[in-house]
Amino acid sequence: MCDIIWCKKEINGKKCNTVNYLDPYCFWNWEGKVNCAECKTVYYIHMIQGFMYRGPEEVNEKPDTSPLYADKPLEGYRNYLPGIEGRTRPYQCLPRDIYLGVADMVKFSARGRPVRGWRPQPPSAGIAGSFGFEWDIQKLTPEVWEEYQQKLAKGEVSEW
Amino acid sequence: MAKDMRETRIEDLPGPKSKGELEEMKMPYEEYCRATFDPGNEHAKPEPLRGVRWMSTTMYIFTPHSVSNLAELGAEVVKVEMPRMGDPMRHTSPFNECYLYPLHDTRPMTGTGLGFLNANPNEYYITMDYHLDEMKEAFYRLVKMFDGLTECYRPGTFDKWKQSYIYLQELNPRFIYVWGGGFGYGPKVFGGSYDILGQAHAGLASVTGMHEFMGGHAAKHSNWCIDWYSGTQITFGILAAIHWRETTGLGTMIEFSQVQAATRCLGYAAPMYGRFGIVRQRWGNWDTQLCAHGIILCGKSDFPDVPNPQDKHDARYVMVSAFQDEDFKELCAITGMKDLYDKYKVHKDRAEGEAQVEIYAALERWAEDKSRSEVVKILQDAGLLAEPVMNDREVYESEHFRQRGSIRYLDDPIFGDVLTHSGYASGMMSKSPRRQNWIWRPVGADNVKIYHELLGYPTSTVEEWYNKSWI
Repeated sequence: MCDIIWCKKEINGKKCNTVNYLDPYCFWNWEGKVNCAECKTVYYIHMIQGFMYRGPEEVNEKPDTSPLYADKPLEGYRNYLPGIEGRTRPYQCLPRDIYLGVADMVKFSARGRPVRGWRPQPPSAGIAGSFGFEWDIQKLTPEVWEEYQQKLAKGEVSEW
Repeated sequence: MAKDMRETRIEDLPGPKSKGELEEMKMPYEEYCRATFDPGNEHAKPEPLRGVRWMSTTMYIFTPHSVSNLAELGAEVVKVEMPRMGDPMRHTSPFNECYLYPLHDTRPMTGTGLGFLNANPNEYYITMDYHLDEMKEAFYRLVKMFDGLTECYRPGTFDKWKQSYIYLQELNPRFIYVWGGGFGYGPKVFGGSYDILGQAHAGLASVTGMHEFMGGHAAKHSNWCIDWYSGTQITFGILAAIHWRETTGLGTMIEFSQVQAATRCLGYAAPMYGRFGIVRQRWGNWDTQLCAHGIILCGKSDFPDVPNPQDKHDARYVMVSAFQDEDFKELCAITGMKDLYDKYKVHKDRAEGEAQVEIYAALERWAEDKSRSEVVKILQDAGLLAEPVMNDREVYESEHFRQRGSIRYLDDPIFGDVLTHSGYASGMMSKSPRRQNWIWRPVGADNVKIYHELLGYPTSTVEEWYNKSWI
């Protein structure tokens, strides 16, 4: 569990309310200044063995580093992902851009047969969330069934 | 035919008439194995653990895997999850890439990640907040009907909730209770566990990876191998406990600490310390006993033009084994390391640390201008054991695994076409094989089946619990 700085700085009469996440590997034993990802207020902190020994105290200096990630939980989880210049820390191990933020939806497996990898899915309609044992693709998602028939006709469905 | 029908004559019986004929009629071994194991037709054969009923109040990989082994072998397993949330492993990994939907009726936009795969196949999924007093009756009724339970909470948590072995054995003296977790009772009783903790605390990580003078560090395996390994070890305990119960009629409590499980695969490490005071060191991709017997890096990738970095940069490693004197001589001859052969003719000499550094460095210099497949071909043509270090895609494409059925597509009844290895990769059984019926089911998918059909609660009660989020 990493520590956070919950920024309460008032800006234009409104609290900033941004949660800045301090990545534990970098901040376990650390003294220095971190900026808030939203309002850029700089805080001094001193952490010893993961314990916030001093701070966060607002200072008027340049930050040493930035939080890894930040979000605004009171505003529907608006967030700052890692690696945004001036806001969050540059991070060399970022996943490829196609994997940032939104799940990849798939309707077909690598060999071209239907797989339930997209959302939303129709509800079960059973009592207490119960599901039957069969996904009748033709009945529940006729458009995917249609697409599958086209793939079959084009020879895009294989054994492997 | 014999005149007297009561007389049995060997020549009237079907099958071979002599030992010689028997030998002639035997199938070639390869053909026999293909016919006997018959990958793909597992479901036509009986399940070895049919009749065993198990409860799984588990999370992540380690304890679920102890039960998934039973489920693949035919036990009837009920997985009990947190209402509307499910096992946290459903939400854990791999991030943003592969989810299957839906998770639950109330959460149509959330899916189950493929990290959950293989840890809970063939199970029935119910939800229950069993720490509530109101749900205790249903929990205890399941205990009375089931053979055992696996749980993974901090030590003493189930006791606090009045559902530890101390309580449950009074309800069902034949009950087999498994606690699987981090440290277990003892000075570090409050520690939880993860795979990485198991690898680190048991001493495994300290001997994994290259030595520090080669730029290496203590390393963990990229995947959670100690989760899978520990879970399998628990399954052995469960099977032994079932056998014990058949003899004595009594259940057992199994207490399984993950942080000590990995010590088992450290071989001679601890005994060596006990005898000589020597602390075993890391030796990475080489072997402390044998040389040459390791993984070397080649200069060129087999797939230099593909975009995937795992293929492009990492398809450069070869496993090579030539530690017998004759093989080492051949290796030195084809790689032009004749002087090294003269220097290290005796295996004892070349297994020394300094010798290994010299030999592997020379091998990698020889492979500098060659691709992985070139190196493998040269070594194999010379009669030496060499294989490429394959990545997941190559495993997927391996004809050997496909023919053995150890990797295959499953047409899951709910989620569709899913590639899986599952128990098919855990050894075959000719008469009663493992099988996978479904990969998993949505959270609470079998609430009605278990609460109403098995325990007999009216559906109105099941619905009431559901509306209160007790299930």
